[in-house]
Order: sequence, then structure tokens, then C-alpha cells
Amino acid sequence: MAMDTGKMSNFLEMTGLVKTFTGATALQDVSLNVAKGEVVCLIGPSGCGKSTLLRTANWLTPADAGEVRLDGELVGTMPDQRSASKQAKGLNAVRARIGMVFQNFNVWPHLNVLENVVCPQMVVAKRSRNEAEKKALVALSEVGLEDKKSEWPDNLSGGQKQRLAIARVLAMDPDLMLLDEPTSALDPELVSGVLAVLKRLAEKNMTMIIVTHELGFASSVADRIVFLEGGHIIEQGPPDVILQSPATERLKLFLDKLNITAFQPKSD
Amino acid sequence: MSIDLSIFTNYGPQLLLGFWMTIKIVVAAIILGMPFGLVLALGRRSRFVFIRLLASSFIEIFRNTPFIIQVFMFFYVLPFYGLYLPAEYVGVVALAAFGSAYFAEVIRGGIDAVAKGQLESARATGMSDWQAMRYIVLPQTLPIILPAMTNQTLSLVKESAILSTITVGELTMAAITVQGETFRPFEAFIMVALLYWALNETLAIIMRRVERKVSKRSSGGSRAVPAVSAVKDG
Amino acid sequence: MKFDFIYTLDALPRLLEGSLVTLKLALLGFAFSVVLATLVTVARTASKSRILSIAVAVYISFIRGTPLLVQIFLVFYVLPIVGLNIGPVTAGILALTLNSAAFVIEILRGGLASVPKGQFEAARSLGLSGYALWVKVVLPQTFMSSIPPLVNEFTQLLKATALLSTITVVELMRVSQQIYSNNYHPIEVLTGAFVMYFLMCFAVSRGASWLESEFEVKRA
Repeated sequence: MAMDTGKMSNFLEMTGLVKTFTGATALQDVSLNVAKGEVVCLIGPSGCGKSTLLRTANWLTPADAGEVRLDGELVGTMPDQRSASKQAKGLNAVRARIGMVFQNFNVWPHLNVLENVVCPQMVVAKRSRNEAEKKALVALSEVGLEDKKSEWPDNLSGGQKQRLAIARVLAMDPDLMLLDEPTSALDPELVSGVLAVLKRLAEKNMTMIIVTHELGFASSVADRIVFLEGGHIIEQGPPDVILQSPATERLKLFLDKLNITAFQPKSD
Repeated sequence: MSIDLSIFTNYGPQLLLGFWMTIKIVVAAIILGMPFGLVLALGRRSRFVFIRLLASSFIEIFRNTPFIIQVFMFFYVLPFYGLYLPAEYVGVVALAAFGSAYFAEVIRGGIDAVAKGQLESARATGMSDWQAMRYIVLPQTLPIILPAMTNQTLSLVKESAILSTITVGELTMAAITVQGETFRPFEAFIMVALLYWALNETLAIIMRRVERKVSKRSSGGSRAVPAVSAVKDG
Repeated sequence: MKFDFIYTLDALPRLLEGSLVTLKLALLGFAFSVVLATLVTVARTASKSRILSIAVAVYISFIRGTPLLVQIFLVFYVLPIVGLNIGPVTAGILALTLNSAAFVIEILRGGLASVPKGQFEAARSLGLSGYALWVKVVLPQTFMSSIPPLVNEFTQLLKATALLSTITVVELMRVSQQIYSNNYHPIEVLTGAFVMYFLMCFAVSRGASWLESEFEVKRA
């Protein structure tokens, strides 16, 4: 699945990213390339910059320095020489190709399940209602929510909300998906359903960057695990290498702190 | 003091004409003022400093000065720029400007009350700032701001009385005329007070009903059965 | 015709005097309304009388449902008929007081609701009752939590004083009208008055939002 060399490894290029929040530095000159079809899991202690790195990938959090390119196309750069309207237009167009899934779902409570998936297709991708609804139903059945299409989001469980959020992204035919701790706001019994959906996507060669605490899940879907701490990438590599034989003391410490049993892949 | 009831019958039609004018002026001011309030609220969060400054100055100026002096400013300033309008139109413009500043603050509060993640998730799908507002944030704002919007509307009804000072023939002006002709101020003013009171209470009752319907529609639990509750309410 | 700043400057000393009158009227009206509202609040709460609480509710509804301008006219024109010959200034302050009291009663009701029930019980168990219970225990706490909305109500009063110009009270608005009816430069003069109103109200409302954030920090 993963290609470590050649042109393919440059599908998403994040170069020299720096981000400082008032007082704290979240990213210190971080670069990360992701290949088409690759699944990258970002792990690290809270506040290590992994969520910030994910959010710079679609420029939802603009970096202070560095640039992000998708398929060679500029997502965002700092300093940006383009005019404000050009920046905005370019960003919106490229964001339509990048799907993002949030920790707290962010489903839209004023729209029912079907409309949640239909709305961005019509507004952003300019699809007809007919086409958008067809696509939405396909996406909903992929996440197992086709029978909930006329339900309101408030009546869904957390796991269902997150699957709806994933369907909303899938219907846009994304080239890349960003997932920010997609299961950490869920009750334990609802986690596996969401992870199963993500696993299927990984098997279908969806390019994904996932911030996660579920090391078992990470080891089973990731082509590469990236460990961050203090705004730096400390170590990265295939899951078995990273999780079984960490090279750095800091990764060892991080893994030791989490219960060893957590590394065993979960069965669905 | 004895109450002269004949005033109510003799001057009733005149007062009702004024009442009708009050309603027309307030409706016109709302039609102009609410969209402009939305523009101001959005202007306050524009990415251009100049627009932000312009919008917030407008809001602060109109919220921090008496309406009566605003009315007089409009009354004298519009002709100064060659705009000669009948007093009623000046009144509508003044009331709309005043109202828009308050509407803007209410709308801004409503936008702030919608979770930040809603805007973010909309932007993440590739929506422009305006599209995210139009399709995702503002529809959620509506049920939040409805009670405050009602209060502002009621206050516009009351403030419209001040337009009598620039000779707009609305309800209060009618009362002033009646008391000038009859020298019976109590009857004249208590009658218009009751008319204002009735109008405000009626509006408040209607809006409370609308609020209940809207909040029912937007609160998850009863969402599944809106049709039934709507019938009961209506 | 051009905007001639000289007329604004010329008017400035008299406008400043007018501003002082405006401030005085607002302060007096505010002080009286807080006293009146406090008395009503205590009476209503302590007596638990149904008639009183209905009367207060109707009063508040009337004040909030009718224009202040009409209320001012009612006080100004009607009192002389029943034999009370008070001048425009007294009538004006009275009207402002009656109007503002309705809003202050509502504010104090909110403040009173924030006083924990245990405070009443604790005071009673210590033998405090009547006057001492209210003055030493309940009212101080009610006022403390009502300060931000009370300051806000003061700005409303500050703006409301301008309406007294319609019953010939010579405050800032009336002063500017007197000046421009002599020099025929209403825009220049009104602009001066406008700026003064803005400075007064803006200063007080900024103070109010500062107070509000202070209070939130303290309560958190």
C-alpha cells in the first residue's frame, strides 16, 4: 500500500510548518509527506502538536511559516503573496478535496441525516439535488446509516453521529481524509463501529491522516505511525517497528505510560 | 377630575389613523432594519479591518445616543445632503437605522452562541465564509435570537412615539393633536397608552407562540413529531 | 451650505452646562427609582400579598408596554389637572423615576433570586428578622449581584432624559434646540450635543461591561 520512494510519496506535502499559539509553540519546523493511498496515524502526548499538524493540512489552522500542497496544488503558505480573494478561492476549492472528521462530530443539528450529507455536495460541489441524494444514500449505506436518513442528528448516538460525519465527507469523493481523534469522544462500546468503518476505508486505499490514541487500531490500519512531542516529529515508521521496538527514549516513555495491553490489536 | 367619555367616540377615528401609521412605520423600519442589522453583524466579523471598524462604529454610535437626537439629526442632515423626504420617510429611516444597531447586536450574540465547530466543519468542506454562515450558522442562530428580536421589535413600537417630535402623524402625534383641540390630556394620552399597550401585548403573545414552535422544531426530542404539536398549537 | 465647525465650538460652553443638567436629571431619577424599586421589592416579598404582587405586575407591564414619551406627557399634563402644580423639571424626574422603577424592580427580582435560600434561614435562626434581615443580610447581597444591570439601566436613563426636552426641561437636547433656533445651524449644534451624549453613554456602558467581566471573574 505505502510507497516510501518516488514521486508518489509526495501526494500531500507539508513543509517547514511552524505554528505558535500565544506563548506556546505547537509546531516547530515540521515536515511530513504522505503518499496516495497511505494511512498515517499521528500519536503523541496531548499538546504535542499532532492535532495542530492535522489542522494545518487543510489550513483550518493557518501556519505561521511553511506550506502545504496537495497533489502539487497549494493549500496554504505563509507568507502568502496571493490576493485575499485568490487565497480564499484556492483554499475552498482544495478543501473540497480534503475531508475532515472532528473529535466532537460537528454534525449540523438543523439538518436531518440525509441533508447533512446533501448540503455540502450542493453548495460546494454544485451537484444537483438528485445526484447529491443518490451519492448521500451510497455514503450513508457505507457507514451503515441508510435506515436513519430522515432522523435528526440529536436523536443519534455518538457513534452514529461520527459515522454520519464520515458519510458527509465520503459523499464529497475526497482525495484525502483528515481525522482528529475520531473516537475519543465516544463511549467505549460505540468505538468499534466507527473504527470498523475507518478500517474498510483503509482497505479501499483511501488516503488518511488519523490523530488517535487507539494504538491497537493504529497498528492494524496504519502504513506509518508518526510520533510527535513538543512540536517535533520524534520518530516515524511502520507500526510494528514503532510500537514493538521504539528507537528513542521519549517514544519508549510514551508507550510505557500507556498500558501495554492497549497495543494488542482489537478484534471487531 | 371627571373623565369625558365623548372624546373616545369623537376622536376615536383620528387616533386609529395614527395607530395605523405607527404600525406602518414600524413594519417598514423592521423590513429595512433587520437585513441591515444582519449586514452590520456580518460586517463586524469581516476580514477587512476597515469594514469591521465601520460596522462597529455605526452600532456603538446608535446604541449610545438618545433616539430623539438621532431623529433630529436625520431630520436636518438628509435635506443638508439634498435629500428632501416627507417626515414619515425620515422617521422610517431613523427608526430603521436605530433598530438595525440593536438587531445587529442580537444577531451577533446568536452567531457567537452557535458552537465554533459548526462554522469550522462547514469551512472544512470547502464552503466560503458566507456559504458557511448562510447554510450552517445562521439557520441555527434563528431560534436562539428570536426572543431578543421580539424584545427589540417591541421597543421599536415604543420608540416610534418619538417621531411625533418631527411631526410624523403617528399615534402619539394624534394624541397631542387631540389634547390640543380638547384640552383633555388625560383622556387623550391614556387612550393612546392603552393602544400601545394592547399592540405590544398582542405582539408579545404572537411571538411567544412562534418561539415555542421554532424551539420545538429545533430541539431534538420533539423533532420527530413536529406535525402533531403544530396542529395542537395552531 | 457647508458644515461650519465654528458653530459647534460656539455652542460648546452651553452644551456642557446642558450635559451637567442631563447628568443630574439621570442621577436623581436613578436614585429615586432605586429607592422606590427597593421598597416595592421588599414589600412584595415580605408581605406575600397577592393583590400587591398583581398590582406590581400590571404596573410593570404597563410601563414596559407603553412609550416613555407618552408616560412623560401623562405625568406632565395630568398632574396639574388633579391640582398638583409641579413644574416640568419635577414632572420630568417623576416620570423618569416611575418608568425606571419598573425596570429596576425586574433587576432586583433577579438579584434577589440569586441570594441563596440558606441565607434567609441562617439569618432567621440567628434571630434576625424584619428590618435587620433585609438591611443587613438580604439587600446587600441583592445589590451586589445587581450592579452590572443597574449600571446598564443608568445608561438607559441617561438617554431617556433627552425626552424631557419635549416638556421644556432645559437639558442637553433642549439647550441645543434653543441654540440652533437662534443661529439656524441645527446640524453643527446637534452634532456637538450628539457627541456629548455619546461620550457620556459610551463611558458608562464601557464601565458596565468592565464591571460585568470583573463580576464574572469573581464569581468563577
